[in-house]
Order: sequence, then structure tokens, then C-alpha cells
Amino acid sequence: MTDLLFLVLSAVTLVSAVLVVVNRNAVNAAMFFLLSLVGTAGLFVLLDAYLLAFVLILVYAGAVVSLFLFIIMLLDTRPEAQKPFKKMTVAASLLGGLLLFTGVLSLVLRFTPAPVGADPALAPVGASLKAYAEQLFTTYLLPVQVVGFLLLVAMLGVIVLSKRFQEPESRSQNSGGTA
Amino acid sequence: MSLELLKAAADSNQWWALAPEVMLACAALALLVLELVLPRAEHHKIPLFAIAAQAIVLVGVFLNFDTNWLGESTFGGLIRHSNWGQIARVFFVLSSLLVCFLATVCLPRTRMPRVEFYHTVLVVTAAMMLLAQSDHFVMFFVALETVTVGLYILVSYFRDNPLTLEAGLKYLVMGALSSAIMLFGIVLLYGAVGRVEGANGAIHTGFEFGTAAAFLQAHPDNFLAVAGALLVLSGVAFKIGAFPFQIWVPDVYQGAPTPVTAFLAVSSKAAGFAVLLLLVRNVFAPLQSVLVPVLSLMAGATILFGNLSALTQRNAKRLMGLSGISHAGYLLLGVIASFTVPWAGGAVWFYLFTYLLATMAVFGVMAYCTGENDADHELDTYDRLSRDRPFLAAVLAIGLGSLAGIPPLAGFLGKLILFIAAFQAHLYTLLAVAIVGVVLSIYYYFGWIKAAFFESWRPAFSTETATAAPRTTPSLFGTLTLALLAVATVVLGFFPGPLTSWLIGK
Repeated sequence: MTDLLFLVLSAVTLVSAVLVVVNRNAVNAAMFFLLSLVGTAGLFVLLDAYLLAFVLILVYAGAVVSLFLFIIMLLDTRPEAQKPFKKMTVAASLLGGLLLFTGVLSLVLRFTPAPVGADPALAPVGASLKAYAEQLFTTYLLPVQVVGFLLLVAMLGVIVLSKRFQEPESRSQNSGGTA
Repeated sequence: MSLELLKAAADSNQWWALAPEVMLACAALALLVLELVLPRAEHHKIPLFAIAAQAIVLVGVFLNFDTNWLGESTFGGLIRHSNWGQIARVFFVLSSLLVCFLATVCLPRTRMPRVEFYHTVLVVTAAMMLLAQSDHFVMFFVALETVTVGLYILVSYFRDNPLTLEAGLKYLVMGALSSAIMLFGIVLLYGAVGRVEGANGAIHTGFEFGTAAAFLQAHPDNFLAVAGALLVLSGVAFKIGAFPFQIWVPDVYQGAPTPVTAFLAVSSKAAGFAVLLLLVRNVFAPLQSVLVPVLSLMAGATILFGNLSALTQRNAKRLMGLSGISHAGYLLLGVIASFTVPWAGGAVWFYLFTYLLATMAVFGVMAYCTGENDADHELDTYDRLSRDRPFLAAVLAIGLGSLAGIPPLAGFLGKLILFIAAFQAHLYTLLAVAIVGVVLSIYYYFGWIKAAFFESWRPAFSTETATAAPRTTPSLFGTLTLALLAVATVVLGFFPGPLTSWLIGK
């Protein structure tokens, strides 16, 4: 059953990933990306990494892909406005594919399966929500706080860099205050 | 993990140990609250609050210096308090204090919100202080990203100027690339180390500096770990602007607002070197045989590239950027020496302090010599500066002289101590390259001094553009700050004793 699920999910992930690249319609490509992410999340579930699967769906499928869709709608791209690949791009992707193939081949040839169930006591930290949360609020409390500041600064930065600054109003109020 | 272990981890979260960082962060939040609470007419007092808060933090760090927590690790091994960490705290607060002073000069000229600038500077400074004390790759990366995200915003702050936007975009792309490279290196190290079971059932991973160092000690020829270490160092090299990763420097330095350029030149570079010293000393020390040749090549190329490209530069901010690359090269010399000579790390910090004083003096003069568009800052702007504003010209000459390493000034001693460390580490070839670099640097620094002190001949029709160069008269506060920087540069050149005994401990 698990093997069958693994095969189905892998096929879904790979096929939709290929369709993301070759699709001429940007909206369809984004939807296939979503499907590919769902397949990956399913693979994580098979590995007992429920939290990771959940976060993947929540963050990528929920937030990132919908952001993509918004941007595609705003940009209003036409399907025929696609340029042919450059020779350099083709050569680079061939080289990248070759390297990846070599890597996978060497992994397959030298693979020695790890002893299964050697350490059942050591549950991975990211597996369950409870263990993850306990870690976040004890061991990694300081980085969590720092990340909070990071997000605050990023949000302020977006506001500062995009919002129109109302100088004239403040200047008139300033002059009113000093007068 | 059992509940007892979690309780122990929670008990090691000693927030008092991080009082300076917490105070800076609270001050940053207070700035935002003040902007909401105060009436608009009082808003010009908010920068003064930022400066006062940093001054209090600086005094606080000095007062309980090396008394508590020194040599201990808190937050479950995320933070290790060390002498260098304290030095870094003093350095970063001093630097951001001066950046805020530059901002009080430059920001009112533009139509941009002000409070957010000081807020971001304070948060970035606190993150740099954490970065210099981190002992764990998770803490390290989170602090580094906070620094980088804050700097993305600061670099593109004057968004009305197209050059600033270009600089912001370039910094964003290059910074994201360098973060990705560094993260990839960290992950490779983590994967290579795997899980290590320690005493009393605690599990250690490659994220901890100590565990990674122990693994590298045992397996110095593990390919994955060495590749990870090299990738991490490449990410750091982006931050300090060392040779193959320096392409972003001139454009970003030119386009960024002047206070931010100073922040990049001093704090960001020093953060890079603090990290480099931390990694070289705590994690990558066993990889000496691989890292010394790589870093040596990098240092030599950095010195030559920085000096040669600065030779023909006429834009003042690009000149500071390119010469900053060469300073990164000299500092790398000290980092390489610290593999074999233990006190070389202190020499790096001494050089950074002299660099801080001189660079901030030069940027202070630059802030008073520009108008609204501070990206087009040619050396011709300084024509007749010595006649119009003799004080600014004198400060400029002292700052540039110290950067060039002219004998009675502090910069000379910084270079001398660094070169002695390199000599003791037997880095003779690199020393020769560095000395050639110093000689080259005198040419372009004195070109700038010449532009300020000696009238250049120009055809009669172009004199109007020269006299139209905008110059602001420094306020009393500004005069005092610039004078303090210049006097400190001179005095440190004659009496380096207190600072060297603190940094190097001789």
C-alpha cells in the first residue's frame, strides 16, 4: 500500500513539475505547481513528517501560489508572448541535467541502506507539532524573537519604500507649531 | 526530548546576559511608539532619543564589562559570551551611534520618513551584536538575515533617486544569492556531521559550532564538510566584499544614502570580519591546510583589485567602496595570521577601530558637502574646501591620512600591528602584496586631499558649477563629533596603549 502510494505521489509530483515548465499558459503552470506541491506534501506524510507536509501546504500552496496567481492576473501575460529558448540556456540546462544524473547515479550505485529502526527513541523534532512547538519555545526562543524583529523590519521597510510620504502636511503642521 | 531536558533548556534562557541587545530592541520599538504618541511638532526630537538610548547602551556595556557570563554559553548553547563578543558590542554600538549622527545631517534634506530609519539601524545593530556572539548556526543565520533584510531597506531608502533604487535592487539580488550560498554550506555541514549523542542523553547536531568543530577535527578530509565550509566562507566573503565576490560594492556604495554607505562600510564589514574570526577560531580551525591557501589567494587578489580599481576613480563614494575592498584585503591578512598567531584577532579588531574612526570622519565631511542628490559626489565637489570650510578640510585630511596609513595617525599603527602579526605568521608574499597596495592607496587618497586643499585650474566658464557645490555649515553638535573623531584618530596614533592592551592583551 505504502509503495503504491509512493509511486502514485512521485508520478504526480514529477509529471506536474514537468508540466509547470512546458505549459504555455501561466495560470495553468501555477496550478500545476500547486499539484506538484501537494504531491511533495504527500511524500512527506509517507515519511511521517506530518508537520512539514502541513507547513508546505499552508505556506506554499496557501500563500505563495496564490501570490503567484495574483501577480499573473496583474501582469496580464499572454500565452503567445513566450520567447524561444536561447542556445546558452539549452546548453546550461543540459549540463545541469547531466550533473544531476551523475549525482543520482553515484547515489544509487553506492547506496547502503541505513539500519531501519536503529534508534526508535530519537523521534525527529519536526515530526509532531507538540515536539516542534516545545523546541521553539524553549531551546530556540531567542531565534524566534529575532525572527519577529526581522518580520517587523521587513514590514516597516515595505511600507516606507512603497507608501507615499506626506511631507507637505507635516511641514504645514510643523510651521504651525513653531509659529 | 524529555520534559526535564526542556526545562533545563528554558532555564538557560538568561535574558539579562543579552541586556544590551534587548535594550536596543526595546529602544527601537519605543521609537515607533513615540512617533505615534508625540505631536508632529515634537517629531524632530525622536532621533535624539535614538542617539541617547545608544549612548546609554554603550555606557552600560562599558560599566559591566567582562564581569558576568564571560566565557559561558547561554540560551542552550545558542550564544557564547566572549571577550571578542564584548569588543564587538562596543564597536557596533559606537558605529551605529555615528551612523545616526550622519542620518540627522542627511535625512532632513529629503522627503522621506525618518523614524523608521533609526528603528531599522537599531534593530540591525542589535542583530549584529547577536551575530558576533552566536555559537550555533541557527542563531547565526537568523541574526545574519535580520542584518541583511534591514540593510536591503536602508540601501534603497531614498527611493526618489534612481541610482538608489538600482543600488537597492543590486544589493537585494546579490545579498539573497550570498545568503543562499551560505545556507547551502550550513546544510552541507549539518548533513556531514549528522547526529552525535553526547553525555546524559543530549543530542548534538552539526548546527552547534562545538560539535561541527569536533567533527572536522576527527575528519578533516570529509569532502561534504569541506565543501560546506568553503560555501559558508564564500557567503561571508560577499558581506566583507572580498575578491571574487566584490562586484556589488561600487554601485551599492554609490547609490546608497551617505549614512547607509557609512553603515555598510563600517558595521557591515566589521560584522563580516567578526563572523569570519568566530568561524575560523571556533569551527574551521581544523581545516587550516585547505583554508589558508584559499584565504591567502583571496586576500592578495582583494588588495590588488581594490587598490588598482580605486586609482582612477573620481566619484567619492565609489572611491570609499573600492578602497574599502582593499581594507578588507588587509584585514584578511590578519584573519589568516590568526590561524597560527593567537593575538592576530586582536590586531584585526584594532584595525577595525582605527578604520571606524577614520571612515566616520570622512563620511561626516561627505555628509556636509552634499546636497539632496548624494550619489553624484565627485571629487570636484571638494574644490576649495580648505578655503571655504577649513575645519571640514582638516578633518577630511586626518581621516584620509589615517586610511592611507600615514605615520603619526592611528591608521598607520593599525596597519603596522596587522603586518607584524602577518610577519610572525610567515606570510611574506602576502606582506609584499599588501605593502604595494598601501603605496598605491596613498596615490588616490592624496588625490582627494589635493582636490580639497589645492585649487585646480579650470577654464573660466566652468567656475560657476564649482562654486555652486552645496556645503552645509556643521552644527555645534556636528562640529564636536567630527572634532572628537579627528582628535581620537591622532591621539590613538600616539597612545595606542589602552586600546591595544584591551584588544590584544599584551
